[in-house]
Amino acid sequence: MANRILYIITFFGLMATTSLTAQNELLQKWNPEKIKGTRQIPYPSYSGSPFMNDKFIMGEIEFSDGTKIDSLGLRYSSYRDEIIYYNAAISAQIIIDKISLKGFSFTDESGTKRVFRHQYYNGFFPGERYFEVLSDGDIALLVYRKIVLQVCPPYNDNAGNLKNMSYQPAYNYYLYNDKKGYELIRLNRNSLLSNFDKLTQKSVKKILRKNKVQVTDESSFVIAWNLLKENGIIVKF
Amino acid sequence: MERKIFILLLLFAVSTVKAQEKESLNLFTDRDLYISGETLLLKVFAPASEQSGIANIDLINRKGKKITGVILEIINHQADGFVYLPDSLSSGSYLLRTSTRTNKIQTCKEIYIANRFTGLPESNSDMKLSGVIPVNETSIQNLQVDGIEDQYKPRQKGHAMLQLPAALITQIDGDLSVSISGVTQEDKSRQFLQKSETEINQSIAKEGIIIEGIITDLKTAKPFKNAVVYLSIPDSIPGFQYYITEEDGHFIFQLGKYYGKIPVVIQCFAKEKASLLKININDRNNLSSEMPAYEPRAFSPEFRKSVAISTDAVTFRKIFNQQEIAIQPAPVVKRDAYPYYGVPTKTIDPQLFVELPDFNEISKELLPGVKFRNYNRIPTLQVFNAAQLYYFNDPPLLLLDGIPIRDLNVIKDMGTKDIDKVEICQNERFYGDLIFPGVVAIYTSKADYTRVPESNDLIKLSLEVIQPHAVVNAPSEQRLNEPDLRQVILWEPTLKPAPKMELDFQTSDIRGSYKLVVRGKNRDGSIIYKEQSFEVD
Repeated sequence: MANRILYIITFFGLMATTSLTAQNELLQKWNPEKIKGTRQIPYPSYSGSPFMNDKFIMGEIEFSDGTKIDSLGLRYSSYRDEIIYYNAAISAQIIIDKISLKGFSFTDESGTKRVFRHQYYNGFFPGERYFEVLSDGDIALLVYRKIVLQVCPPYNDNAGNLKNMSYQPAYNYYLYNDKKGYELIRLNRNSLLSNFDKLTQKSVKKILRKNKVQVTDESSFVIAWNLLKENGIIVKF
Repeated sequence: MERKIFILLLLFAVSTVKAQEKESLNLFTDRDLYISGETLLLKVFAPASEQSGIANIDLINRKGKKITGVILEIINHQADGFVYLPDSLSSGSYLLRTSTRTNKIQTCKEIYIANRFTGLPESNSDMKLSGVIPVNETSIQNLQVDGIEDQYKPRQKGHAMLQLPAALITQIDGDLSVSISGVTQEDKSRQFLQKSETEINQSIAKEGIIIEGIITDLKTAKPFKNAVVYLSIPDSIPGFQYYITEEDGHFIFQLGKYYGKIPVVIQCFAKEKASLLKININDRNNLSSEMPAYEPRAFSPEFRKSVAISTDAVTFRKIFNQQEIAIQPAPVVKRDAYPYYGVPTKTIDPQLFVELPDFNEISKELLPGVKFRNYNRIPTLQVFNAAQLYYFNDPPLLLLDGIPIRDLNVIKDMGTKDIDKVEICQNERFYGDLIFPGVVAIYTSKADYTRVPESNDLIKLSLEVIQPHAVVNAPSEQRLNEPDLRQVILWEPTLKPAPKMELDFQTSDIRGSYKLVVRGKNRDGSIIYKEQSFEVD
């Protein structure tokens, strides 16, 4: 009889579990956010690359209203400042409307996570731009990864055509604050030190020396910037 | 041993009922007796486990037929709203039912509605519910109601203070609902639960209503695969969604946060081959559930008297045009900053130019990169691809007041007077998996989309979506010479629990018994209430 009771209890228990599972596994067939954009027209072929990443890399986009879509094949065109995604269903490379995005991110081939933010730039050549966030915070360190088409010494391309233009990086680095806007910055020690008052400069130098950081390029500048942030040194901005 | 099994099973049944109560919605109304033409006020408490953001409230008759209904937005596990009771309702017992798409349990409440013109049945008898198990409610002992006197005079101002102990405040989930309304001695209806025939895999209506249906082949009446279904909401920035059907021909759309009444156009076409299709919208009005049993009832003289007083009150309020509630403006919902078809390359207002008789002339004279021709009475439309400097071979997305149009004959006769503006996108636009070879969006002067013809594959709907918030009108200081015939003298469905809560009210000209009722929901799902009666004489 005891077994019978056990069977009854197990039976009702199983019933309850299945009903709960069914409620949790509700299907949601529609995609609430549809990506809007235009077809990407191939750029003229010159030496160098107009893209930050030549291959499509899985990434995430965030819409202006805060909704996110991940696992999208993304490619950032530094030449046109456009984010392109590959729509496998219709085999099309689509430029996502810049106006609809808050930003996007992807992890590049070296394993570094790259985060881009859509912001209005009010300086020279004002307009909506994607800035890569190198270091975020009250004062953010941003880079506008612009690639320009420049005249260069003549060369023959793969098809043997003579050309004299190439895609060249022309990155611009900025310190950015919501209230104070953008300040162009160069990637060297003097430029970094110029953002601090004379008294603070001493401790900045000390920290850099102690951590053996020589500010010469982007990565060393970011390391130095983050070190100073960790040590609570405030930038004069 | 058999007795032990019986006890175990009984315990299991009791625990199941308790669990159901905790997972179900709770429904409360301002009164139990109404007159046709009145407004019913209601409050819904949703369980914490409720995934749906929308609650459906239906008024159903004894046969289970839906008379009217509203859709409420569940915010912070609660919702409140109102139902206009049609003037044409015959006297009798009705059920007010609340449900969500996914909750397997519906909560119902019996109300009695007397017709304003015919009154109660002459036979002095009617039917009432029988055999239903009411949902348990626990009286809150430690909620103190101060300041309520035993007796008030008509139009006397009153003040009450609710005092909640701190321990109780932390227990309460959401807000409290407070009402003061006239009561009849006889009618005391409580909510009860009913099993819903909800399908297992229902989609959750998270923030707006869901429209679903099936696309069938018009000839074979079989579900159609690969039909593209468009849903458009005409507006200055039109709303748009699409769905591509699978084997079952089923489509589903979730509208966002739209309030009040909105126009919706649903249309479909075959993705690959040209087939005649038909749209079949699933009618949620047919949501069936087993109706409870009814038994005969006889009306007491007190009940008849209450109905007579209420009928007079409602009639006079109608004569004096005293509105019971004031509908608040719908909350501003941030929608897309630009239309789904993209930021237009060019926008043209034909009324700024010389008057032109038809769209052929307008396209030739005013619309750059738009080629509309009507050779041999077969209209064609092409848009220039500005990026690649050629005309698209395929016709563009043509919109009339935001509604996609496939038949160009609809626009061919449109002259300058008919058109407010034309927006053109001279590039290949993408919306999800849809490709638009250019876009021509025409906005008409009337903006009434009457030119769009209805057919089997195009349906125009006027949908009641989320009900906007409403507040009960207070007696007007400027209309003191008019009778004050309010039957609900206080309705505060969203009172934030606090140690001390002040309530002000003013009695109306209707004499009789009134009751202050405070209701709330505990975090464990149980319902709490407190009542206090007083007389107006």
